[in-house]
Amino acid sequence: MSAPLLSVSDLRVSFATEDGPVQAVDGVSFELAPGEVLAIVGESGSGKSVTAQTILGLTRSHNTEIEGSIRLGERELTGASEAQLREVRGERIAMVFQDPMTSFNPVYRIGDQLVEAIRAHRPKLTKVRARERAVELLGAAGLREPERQAGRYPHEFSGGMRQRAMIAMALALEPEILIADEPTTALDVTIQAQILELLRKLNRERGLATILITHDFGVVAELADRVLVMHEGKIVERGGLDDVFYATEDAYTRKLLGAVVRLDQVPPLRPARREEPLLEVTDLVKHFPVKRGILIDREVDRVRAVDGVSFSVARGETLGLVGESGSGKSTLSRAVLQLLKPSSGSVRFEGREIAGLSRRQMRPLRPEMQMIFQDPYASLNPRKRVGRIVGEPLRLQGRASGAELRRRAQELLERVGLSPEHYDRYPHEFSGGQRQRVGIARALALRPKLIVADEPVSALDVSIRAQILDLLADLQDEFGLTYVFVAHDIGVVRHVSDRIAVMHEGKIVEQGPADQVCERPTDAYTKTLLAAVPVPDPRESRARRRSSA
Amino acid sequence: MARFAVRRLAAAVAVLFAVSVLVFVIFNVIPSADPARQLAGRSANPQLIASITEEWGFDEPLPQQYLTMMENILTGKVVSYETRENVDERIIEGIPATFSLCVGAAVIWMFFGILFGYLSAVRTGGLLDRALTVVAVTGISIPVFWLAAILLNYLTYEFEIFPSGGYVGLGEDPVEWANHLILPWVTLAIVYVGFYSRVLRSNMLDAMGEDYVRTARAKGLSERRVMTRHVLRNSLIPIVTLFGLDFGALLGGAIVVEGIFDINGVGQYAYESLINLELPPIMAITLFGAFFIVLFNALVDVAYAYLDPRVKLGESAQ
Repeated sequence: MSAPLLSVSDLRVSFATEDGPVQAVDGVSFELAPGEVLAIVGESGSGKSVTAQTILGLTRSHNTEIEGSIRLGERELTGASEAQLREVRGERIAMVFQDPMTSFNPVYRIGDQLVEAIRAHRPKLTKVRARERAVELLGAAGLREPERQAGRYPHEFSGGMRQRAMIAMALALEPEILIADEPTTALDVTIQAQILELLRKLNRERGLATILITHDFGVVAELADRVLVMHEGKIVERGGLDDVFYATEDAYTRKLLGAVVRLDQVPPLRPARREEPLLEVTDLVKHFPVKRGILIDREVDRVRAVDGVSFSVARGETLGLVGESGSGKSTLSRAVLQLLKPSSGSVRFEGREIAGLSRRQMRPLRPEMQMIFQDPYASLNPRKRVGRIVGEPLRLQGRASGAELRRRAQELLERVGLSPEHYDRYPHEFSGGQRQRVGIARALALRPKLIVADEPVSALDVSIRAQILDLLADLQDEFGLTYVFVAHDIGVVRHVSDRIAVMHEGKIVEQGPADQVCERPTDAYTKTLLAAVPVPDPRESRARRRSSA
Repeated sequence: MARFAVRRLAAAVAVLFAVSVLVFVIFNVIPSADPARQLAGRSANPQLIASITEEWGFDEPLPQQYLTMMENILTGKVVSYETRENVDERIIEGIPATFSLCVGAAVIWMFFGILFGYLSAVRTGGLLDRALTVVAVTGISIPVFWLAAILLNYLTYEFEIFPSGGYVGLGEDPVEWANHLILPWVTLAIVYVGFYSRVLRSNMLDAMGEDYVRTARAKGLSERRVMTRHVLRNSLIPIVTLFGLDFGALLGGAIVVEGIFDINGVGQYAYESLINLELPPIMAITLFGAFFIVLFNALVDVAYAYLDPRVKLGESAQ
């Protein structure tokens, strides 16, 4: 191995909090060789992002303590002054962040933000020259019509375009090292595949050394040469890509790899449950009118969010609804539950037409159908105790009150794997996985027949994800629940579903038994979707790349 | 833009209509304000009052009276009952003084509000931040009339640095104009300085946690550039909204400050009219004030669309 570009030794970062110091990074050492892709893998809170940001001095503040050494060539970065760090940031080490939505300043044009980055380090370069360079970079990052794109604002870009622009900005000054912090986590799988391809190309063609921070072993298998696994601020496993996957030494890493829900690992076949349908949806349409007019609005166009969708779900069955962002899957699930009024079409629940029922008419039916939401942080009221949140449906429907209400809420908490003592706590005292359990308990309170789960695990860590999926399966067996499971991750959907429906641009393009859709897809879009899912298996992902090349 | 302008104009007419009807109705349910008696003056006798009632149309149905009043206000023919002077002319006479007062105060409060807010955000938790917090909270808490009285007492009567109230036209003598207005400006601005600096400080602290600020640092920008171009620029957007609304409301008359410093502006006139329960000037001044509030609301929206490219004029949010 040639001399390392970057060497980190015994790095320790601790934050002072109200509850005392928190050791986010606890004695991390590694080296980055020229031209290699080093992946740092871990769950949320493992310290991987803090490590990455500390390299650029972005975690510095008066309540942060940073010890150890970060050497970039001959330069020591931990003790460097702000001015010295500025010469490194963007110029020698550039960074790409997770959420391209929020990582650009919304009030400046994309081109201007690139120009700003260039001129911060090349003050003598004229604005015109810097702008030409920015346009060239946007083109190199794979944006079509870069001249026009440079003049647009971030909100006019799609997520994938923004991440390309972010990468273009990172490459502006031809840095030696690129740090990519969860670069594809916020993107759809098909877009993720494109961005990973771009990063691979940059690494191969320019020899750009890359530190890839991710929680996704699929992404690691696609891109990395070497892997570090972090857990509670420490590196618990390190080695070449294949060693970490096939000759795993550490118990935590093994557990993490085991928890990954894989598309190609077929879950045990479940007995077919084709009885009478619980839910029948026929030709469901939900259009949002686009209105314009001087004084009185006229409808000039419509957004066809759901455009003629039909499916049915049998009692006790799980239907997986897969689609990328903007495919209409969330609108569909809300229209099915009459949380949004459908434009036309029919929704029959236990044989009864519910499309077009008034709120009042729906109320007696509400207990029968419940919803679990994606974001367990945003969907629980932070000012209410968990017990109240769980018991609220019972109280509203007049099913229980007083001591009886408390007892039943505690039973529910216990049933979803929390303890009755959790009744008096507030949502912020819980982890993401525990909060999602609270959301499930709330949905379960009224003993519904149908539960629509909208991305119930996509905000959770891999190890937690598996636990929540298991819990949902147990509850289904115990209470005979019927699920509509909405998600963008076809691997997760396959894991839990009897049947799968694939949504694209407001329509269901393919539906059928889970195995059939995943192994013998007939629709072109389904095939693209399946091909884009990264496989957490380096050998297979290499084989796949060879066959597609 | 045309769509926006037309909509705003329609909304403005509706608001002004509603405000005028409300004032008119409230006034007509208040007892003891017989306008005919006011017009008749001291030597009132029943015959005179009756003939005035007849002549001025006070016996007509209320909607008719309302229409006549509005017509007079809009054509500049409305007169006060007590003094019989032309109301619109009095308002126009008061405009230079009121606008001088408001614009000057606004310049002071925006300058110091933004400066103090910026400094305390950049030095959060430091000594300067704490000192400015004390200044801001004090400014917000001091009653205007008390502050005005204290300033007048010391700076005018005790040390004779500034003249004691009154208004000198800008055209007559610019130096005296400013000299007479300094105390009123400071008095009026001080509450807003405190308030604006607190709002800006908390906006900036929020903005500092944004991902794009981290991106800006990672690009290698200097700390000052990060603070001004990224943090301050984005935090000023809500300040513009506040400013538009406050400034528009103030143009309808800064009643207390005009009264204390004897500035013969619209606010002073409003005060007199309220004391005398004179409907015509109250109606006219209310419409005048409401007009500016509506106008500045529209200007805020235009400024917003300019400052934040995500906002499009006249498009209803989905």
